[in-house]
Amino acid sequence: MYDFSEVEPLYAERPDWADVTPLQQYQGVDPLAPINYSTEYQDATDYFRGIVKTGEISLRVLQLTEHIIRMNPGHYSAWQYRYRILLALQLPLEEELRLMDQYAIDFLKTYQVWHHRRLLLGALRSVDAAAAELEFVARALDTDEKNYHTWSYRQWILAHFNDEARLWAGERAWVEHMVERDVRNNSAWHHRFFIVWGSGMRVGDEDRERTLKRELMYVKEKIALAPNNPSAWNYLRGILEHTHTPFSTQAIFVQLYTTSASTPGDVFDLDNPPPSASAVLPCENALEFLADIYEQEGGAQISKAIEIWRSLADEHDTMRRKYWEYRIKGASQT
Amino acid sequence: MNTEDPSQQLDIPLHVKYIKSLGESKDDLMYHLTAHLRMNAIYWGLTALCIMKHKEALAREEMVEFVMSCWDDEAGAFGAHPDHDAHLLSTLSAIQILTTQDALDRIDIPRVVKFILSLQQPSGVFAGDSFGEIDTRFSYCAVNALSLLGHLHELDVEKTVDYIRRCKNFDGGFGACVGAESHAAQAALAILDKLDEIDHETLAWWLAERQLPNGGLNGRPEKLEDVCYSFWVLSSLSILKKVSWIDPEKLTAFILSAQDPDNGGIADRPGDQPDVFHTHFGVAGK
Repeated sequence: MYDFSEVEPLYAERPDWADVTPLQQYQGVDPLAPINYSTEYQDATDYFRGIVKTGEISLRVLQLTEHIIRMNPGHYSAWQYRYRILLALQLPLEEELRLMDQYAIDFLKTYQVWHHRRLLLGALRSVDAAAAELEFVARALDTDEKNYHTWSYRQWILAHFNDEARLWAGERAWVEHMVERDVRNNSAWHHRFFIVWGSGMRVGDEDRERTLKRELMYVKEKIALAPNNPSAWNYLRGILEHTHTPFSTQAIFVQLYTTSASTPGDVFDLDNPPPSASAVLPCENALEFLADIYEQEGGAQISKAIEIWRSLADEHDTMRRKYWEYRIKGASQT
Repeated sequence: MNTEDPSQQLDIPLHVKYIKSLGESKDDLMYHLTAHLRMNAIYWGLTALCIMKHKEALAREEMVEFVMSCWDDEAGAFGAHPDHDAHLLSTLSAIQILTTQDALDRIDIPRVVKFILSLQQPSGVFAGDSFGEIDTRFSYCAVNALSLLGHLHELDVEKTVDYIRRCKNFDGGFGACVGAESHAAQAALAILDKLDEIDHETLAWWLAERQLPNGGLNGRPEKLEDVCYSFWVLSSLSILKKVSWIDPEKLTAFILSAQDPDNGGIADRPGDQPDVFHTHFGVAGK
C-alpha cells in the first residue's frame, strides 16, 4: 500500500508526472464559494482532472485515485475512475478488497466505500469472496453496529449469491450473536426477519409451524430479558401478521407485562416467560399489544381496549395522547 | 432572573448571520472536503433564509452563476461543484435553487428531464448517478425534480410506486431499498406518490413512535434523536394530517435547545456543532 505518511513531493514537482497537464478547479468561473484547498489536495485533484481529460488508464493513476480517496472519501469520481482502471488493467480484485478493508473501517459512513466493494464482488462472481466478505462485514459492524449501508450491503451479498450452504447457513446464528450484544439493535431484528421470513425459505425451516414456534419462543425470551424494547415487540407483531396468526394467541404472555406487580408462578412456562425482576412495569408496548388483542376480538372486549388506551393517553404515554384518543374514537364508532 | 429564556426563541438574526458566514470560510479545512455537498449546502442555506424571511441575505446573481457553473454538459445535468460529475441530488438542489430565485429559464429542461429519467432502473427505483447507488430517496429526488420542471407526466408512476411499495417492512415503515430496515427519511417519499396506497394509520404510528422523552425525534427505533428528523418525520405526519400524534411543544423546545447561542446555526442535538444541514431542517421543523 502506498505510504502517504511520508512527505511526498507534489505531482507538480515530480518528473514522472511532467507529461500531464494539470487542470485548475475553476476554468474561467468566478466562484461563489471559493475553496481554500490544502495544497496537497489541490495538487492531486488538479492532476486528476488532467488525466480524466486525456483518459489515461495506468497504475500511476490508480495510485493517484487512492491518494485522493484517502484525503476525501466522498470524491465519487475518483472511486468511479479507480474501478474503471481495475477492470481495464485486469488487476486482482481480491487484493483490491483487502486494500480497501482499512478504508471501509475508517470511512464507515461514506457510501462510496461500500458501493466500491459491491462492484468488486459483482465482478468477482465468487462465493468464496462473498463468504470472506460476510466476515469482513461482521467486523465492520463490530465498530458501528447500526450502520445502514453496511446492513444493506450484507443483505445484498446474501441475496445476490444466494448460496444456502456457504452463506445463508450461518446467518441466523450470527444475527443472534448481534442481538446478544445489544438486544435493542433494531437493524439486527430487522435482519432476522429478513433471514427467516423475508428472503425465501431457509434449509431446515421447511416446517413453517415449527419455525414459527421457534421464533415466538425466541422473541418472547428476549422480551422477558428487556421488556421495554420496541424492536422486539415489532418483531413479535411482524411474525404474527406475516403468518396470519391472531394476536390473541399471545394474550397470556402479554398480560404478564401489563401489570405493575407480577406474582411468580410455580412452573416456568417456556411459552410465557415472565419479565425479569428489574423490569419497569407496566410495559407500554405490552399495554398497546393487549389493547390490540381486545380490539381484534371485538364485541364486549372493545371497552377493555378503550380502558387501556385511556390509561396510555393519560398516564403511560402522554406524549402521544392524540394518537391514543384517535384509537378510542375509532373503536367507539364501530 | 432572565424571564426571556434565549433557548426558547428562534434567534433569526443570529442564524442569518451564521448562514452568510458559511460562504466566507476560506480557512476552514472541512470546506474543501465537502465540495461534493456544495450544491446541497447552498440549497439548505437559501431555503432556511427564505423560511426566516431573509432571502436577500445571499446575493442572487452570484448564486445563479455558481449553479450554472456546475452544469455537466456531457451528462446534461448538475454536479455538486464545478467539474464534478452530474448527480441526481445536486440536480434537484440546482432546480430548487433556481426555482426559488426565479431563474429556471437558465436550464435546458429537456436535457435535464432526459438525465433524470435515464436513472430509473428496470426494477423501478432510481439510481443517483451512473455509479449506480440506488435508494428510494433518489426516487423522491426524481419525482420532486420532474414536478418542479413541469414534466412529472413523463414519469412511469406505476413502476416508481411499485418499487416503493415493495420497500414496506413488517413494522409498518419503509426502507431505502427492497429488504432494507425502515427509516424515517423514507416515509416522506412513500407518501409523495400515492397517498391512497399507504396504510395511513400504521405508517403514522411508526412515525409518531420516533418521538423520544426529551421531545426530539429519531430516525429508527432505539437510535438517538436528531433535529433533521423534525423535518422528515414532521413533514410526513403533516401530509398524513397526523402531526398531533406527537407532542409539538416538546419538539419545538428540543429544536430551540439545539441552537448555538454564540455563533448561530442549529446542530443535530443540544451541545453539538451546528451545520447548515441541521439549521435548515431545524428552522423548517420549527
